[in-house]
Amino acid sequence: MTIPSDPKQVKQICFDRIHIPNLTKLSVARENGAYAFLPTVLKEFDAGKIIDEVKTSGLRGRGGAGFPTGLKWSFVPRNTGKPTYLLCNADEGEPGTFKDRDIMRFDPHLLIEGMIMAGFALDVQDAYIYIRGEFLYETNVMHAAIEEAYEANLLGDNILGSGFSMHLTVHRGAGAYICGEETALIESLEGKPGRPRFKPPFPAVEGFYRCPTVVNNVETLATIPAILEHGGDWHAQIGEPNNTGCKIFSVSGHVNKPGNYEVPMGTSLRTLIEDYCGGLQHGSVPKVIIPGGSSTPWLLAEHYDAPLTYDGMIKAGSMLGSGAIIVMDETADLIAVTRRLAHFYAHESCGQCTPCREGTGWLERIMNRVEAGQGREEDMQVLNEAAAHMAGRTICALADGAAAPILSLLKHFPEEVRARLVENVA
Amino acid sequence: MTTLYINEEEITVSAGTSILEACRSHGVDVPYFCYHPELSVAANCRMCLVEVEGWNKPAASCCTPVAEGMKIHTQTEAIKKDRQMVMEYLLINHPLDCPVCDEGGDCRLQDYAVAHGASHSRYVEAKRAATNHDLGPFVTTYMTRCIHCTRCVRFADEVAGTGDMGILNRSDHMSIAGIVEEACESELSGNLADICPVGALLDKPSHDVSRPWEMTHHQSTCTQCPNGCDINIESRGDEVMRIKPVEGSPEPWLCDRGRYVYDAFRSDNRILEPEVRQDGELLQATWDEAFDRAGDLLRGKRVGIIFSPYWSAEGLASIRLMRDAVFPDAKVAFDLHRRDMRPFAFEEGFSMTTQQIEDVEHVVILGSDLRQRLPLLMQRLRKRGNMGKPVSRIGAMNYRTNMSISSDAIIRPRDWPAVIARAMQQVSDLGQTAAGMDTWLAAVPDRHEAGKVLADSLMGETCALLVGEEIRSHVDAAALIHGLDLLMRACGHAEEGNDGRNLIPEGMNAQLLASAFGDIRTSAGDLFASASAGELDALVLIGSDPVGDGLFPSAAKAALSKVPLIQIGAIAGEIGNSAEVQLPAAAYSEVDGTFINMEGRIRVARQPIRSIGQARPLWKVMMRLAQALGADVPAVDMTELRDRMAAFAPELADVWKDKATEEVLVPVARNRDAEALPARLDSSFDLDVVSRYSMYREGMWARASDLLLAAGKLHALNDVIMHPETLAAKGLKEGEHTVRTFLGEHSCHIGVREDVSPGVLFVAKRGVAGDLSDVTAASIVGGQS
Ligand SMILES: Cc1cc2nc3c(=O)[nH]c(=O)nc-3n(C[C@H](O)[C@H](O)[C@H](O)COP(=O)(O)O)c2cc1C
Ligand code: SF4
Ligand code: SF4
Ligand code: SF4
Ligand code: FES
Repeated sequence: MTIPSDPKQVKQICFDRIHIPNLTKLSVARENGAYAFLPTVLKEFDAGKIIDEVKTSGLRGRGGAGFPTGLKWSFVPRNTGKPTYLLCNADEGEPGTFKDRDIMRFDPHLLIEGMIMAGFALDVQDAYIYIRGEFLYETNVMHAAIEEAYEANLLGDNILGSGFSMHLTVHRGAGAYICGEETALIESLEGKPGRPRFKPPFPAVEGFYRCPTVVNNVETLATIPAILEHGGDWHAQIGEPNNTGCKIFSVSGHVNKPGNYEVPMGTSLRTLIEDYCGGLQHGSVPKVIIPGGSSTPWLLAEHYDAPLTYDGMIKAGSMLGSGAIIVMDETADLIAVTRRLAHFYAHESCGQCTPCREGTGWLERIMNRVEAGQGREEDMQVLNEAAAHMAGRTICALADGAAAPILSLLKHFPEEVRARLVENVA
Repeated sequence: MTTLYINEEEITVSAGTSILEACRSHGVDVPYFCYHPELSVAANCRMCLVEVEGWNKPAASCCTPVAEGMKIHTQTEAIKKDRQMVMEYLLINHPLDCPVCDEGGDCRLQDYAVAHGASHSRYVEAKRAATNHDLGPFVTTYMTRCIHCTRCVRFADEVAGTGDMGILNRSDHMSIAGIVEEACESELSGNLADICPVGALLDKPSHDVSRPWEMTHHQSTCTQCPNGCDINIESRGDEVMRIKPVEGSPEPWLCDRGRYVYDAFRSDNRILEPEVRQDGELLQATWDEAFDRAGDLLRGKRVGIIFSPYWSAEGLASIRLMRDAVFPDAKVAFDLHRRDMRPFAFEEGFSMTTQQIEDVEHVVILGSDLRQRLPLLMQRLRKRGNMGKPVSRIGAMNYRTNMSISSDAIIRPRDWPAVIARAMQQVSDLGQTAAGMDTWLAAVPDRHEAGKVLADSLMGETCALLVGEEIRSHVDAAALIHGLDLLMRACGHAEEGNDGRNLIPEGMNAQLLASAFGDIRTSAGDLFASASAGELDALVLIGSDPVGDGLFPSAAKAALSKVPLIQIGAIAGEIGNSAEVQLPAAAYSEVDGTFINMEGRIRVARQPIRSIGQARPLWKVMMRLAQALGADVPAVDMTELRDRMAAFAPELADVWKDKATEEVLVPVARNRDAEALPARLDSSFDLDVVSRYSMYREGMWARASDLLLAAGKLHALNDVIMHPETLAAKGLKEGEHTVRTFLGEHSCHIGVREDVSPGVLFVAKRGVAGDLSDVTAASIVGGQS
């Protein structure tokens, strides 16, 4: 790897070598550092040391919730007599997010290497990549890379003579957003409909087939090789305290150069959008920024200088989420946007919790009317209450995500809604 | 233990309890829909939200375990608003057709809408449509009313074990469906209407006929099987509208047999008036005329008495008193399925409670179609299975259990000695034995591999042996039961208390029957034989149907062609055609009375429904009969009757003196000295005959119930079945064949099924095969052998 060992110099981690052509081939990947440090890990590290390094690194889950990865791993009970499973969440369904896809299609071996290391730390014999059904190309890339890895004894029995054996299987989802939620993912992988489980018990204790299970996002796992090679301390010095390392942001919307950008944590929204993404298409400041995928609350122009960290986004009133930044300039029709998102959540709700099953559909139907100029003043209060009482009251966080756009719209742009009401249109 | 605070009050519950259960056990009301104490937690309705101090969002109390020092509030303004919103979400797609809904007046959604809902809905969009489903004869669906709590799905998976309810689609297209149309196969299907918190799943037979508030409730005991479930009979006036389980009783469910038999109470088959046969026809008579005629037929005669175990204890006692007063030499029979009348090492009844059976290390079922015989015990075993506890089985058929049996074997009834011997051998090889075991073992030359299943099940610290009808009705039953007793001793299960020995009785009150009639008991078959041989002058039949049920229909018919029958009871049954006199006695729903179930649990019914026609409680009819035959009336009232009966079962007296029924169990009779060695069975017939029991068709009550008969048709198998290889070995195929037995030759259609033991002729007792019930062995005419 060519990542600088001076943390101050580090600009990218997961994407460090991603520009290299044909990296999906094992030989090319190896020429560029893939699996170079793996033998050392397998020979000289043990579970305790790996988990300590990951804890020290301050790495937080890149899938959305930002839970400290080392801590999650340390919750896994040992010697239960049951197998421990490692599941890579490659469902990437959060609207606006398209980062995991690039890791998998350009540098699959980075993910595989991260999974071997994580698996070694957790004493995993069987690991799975649950990949979004629509990612056919990426699935094929992953299959080919895994096959090469097996041939090179990087996977399978007795990996590189270390005595450690781990098998890796790719499982394609069927295109349900909810299957990205970790317990729904587990249900789906077990062959059942993807309906989230209530917690506790947490997957670390009772997950896949009720055995101890770690679910991590692609980007999280792809960060592990660099952390083990350079040390947890090194990673902890990148970015900001409690918000360490680099993060890939999938930027979309009214910017001139949308795309994936990996930057050190703490970079401001303005820097990312102006310096990396070529600025906005119209105007000088955005009207709305959704910073962490469509399920996170909206930020406004006043938050343009907020740092892109977990804490910074919470302080600004939103969440870093999956790092999917949706930028809207003054040309955006926020009611149409909200209506479309309401449709998404109503369509994707798994249907088990009353507030989510009934609430998402209700919100969508009201938004349909509002967009069509059929809304009434009282709809605004109903939207507000119906959304607010979904959030935090259900089995999983989909309901919170469904409430976020509605609550943001009504909080920040009530006048735009009001202007569309039937009273005012007529 | 965990200490926490609910609404400022300190309480202590065991660790891991959910907040909801902690609240329920301390009388704090938290509303819920999806939670059900007998089902797994789903946590989907979100009605049970409570506030936990220090948490940034409300907690679903059903799925949140308590924690030390937790401070919970159930009545804050925020929580009230949350409940109101959950109600509003639920009602947006609900039709609110309470006025035409059976559930109205007894509906959780309706109650909560009043208690927790807003006064009007703000929902102005279109409501969703839904598809109804055919869920069998007892459940009707109105799926627009479904609130998606998934109780029914969990019931089908966990309790019924059929798994035939499921969820289709997601979002607000999510819907509940029978996985296959018309597939609701469960013998427990009637419970679906009870567990559905709304009017989506409704009781079909009582659909659209009555409203909950018109009902009078009568607590009673179901006598349709030895489980003796507590039942709540709901009547409008004197008419039974439906039967429901009793909240807080040991079994939260009822089986479909016990629940739907109620239409028999008003069936045409009921005996409602005294009747006397004149010129070949039964005609209505006065009580006096009927007793006069009975007196003519019985006075000074040699009489055999046959009665049903299902009468109340008081009724049974009155039979004994009547017999002692007027027929002191008469033998009685109350069992239509026992061929071997030698004393059994452990007599009919359970040494364990169903809860103990649920909890033991290992359960083994020997020769019983338990799902048909004891559907609710079967569901207890299923509950064990869900917890990963083993249940093994040996029998003549892989009877359906709707659970996965840990290990099983199919055998012929004639293999039982070899099975038990094989088990003894295994135990003996480990150096364990019991006095007398070697002698027993030496009497059996063969060993049958199925014995391993048996021995393996008994090795643990605790076990429950469930001995069923294949052994109870075996010609060598006493020897087999003695062998099992020896085996249990050898395995270290000494005889004491709840020692694992459970012989499934034919009916209720087995313990009382043994103590009250043990000295004068004989087999029904013997009574019929005596009658046919001219040793009896008349038969008195009190509430059973030996022509329609049991193992002796041919013998019964032969006897009735020789001697007159005096029938006393509630239902006439098939044998009613032969009665010279019929006297009506009240149904079990219509009496003040005491019942003992297989566990020895006592129940006293005190609020009977009014009896119909001229039916009188059996004890009054018995006393009057004694009087008509010239004896002094042995007991003039219930008190006197009960005083006399206490001699047979002192536990009953304790309960009448208001000792709590939970504290009393009537013990099962034991015959420690009963030694019986297996006999060599030489049979000229190559097939063993096993009668198949159907909960929908067995018993005179069930056959008088149109509801059960209709359901029985859906669940019917071929009348006579065999393993295909047994037929093939004779060069024969499924079809019409002639079967030869000691009774002669019968022609019948023989079907095939893989799950019956080779070498067995399986006979559904009703229908064309009725006469085959009498036999234990048969051969097929034709084919090569
Ligand atoms: C509705 C919903 C959808 C989610 N979708 C994804 C997803 O597509 N990919 C993902 O990695 N995490 C997703 N998550 C988050 C996962 O539940 C889980 O937190 C994550 O996979 C943990 O990995 P991490 O600790 O590495 O972030 C989703 C969560 C919710 C509530
Ligand atoms: S919140 Fe919505 S998506 Fe999540 S479990 Fe409940 S109904 Fe399903
Ligand atoms: S049918 Fe009844 S029990 Fe089943 S999910 Fe609907 S409301 Fe619940
Ligand atoms: S299990 Fe037996 S006692 Fe209970 S309801 Fe059914 S038939 Fe009646
Ligand atoms: S009872 Fe708790 S969510 Fe339904």
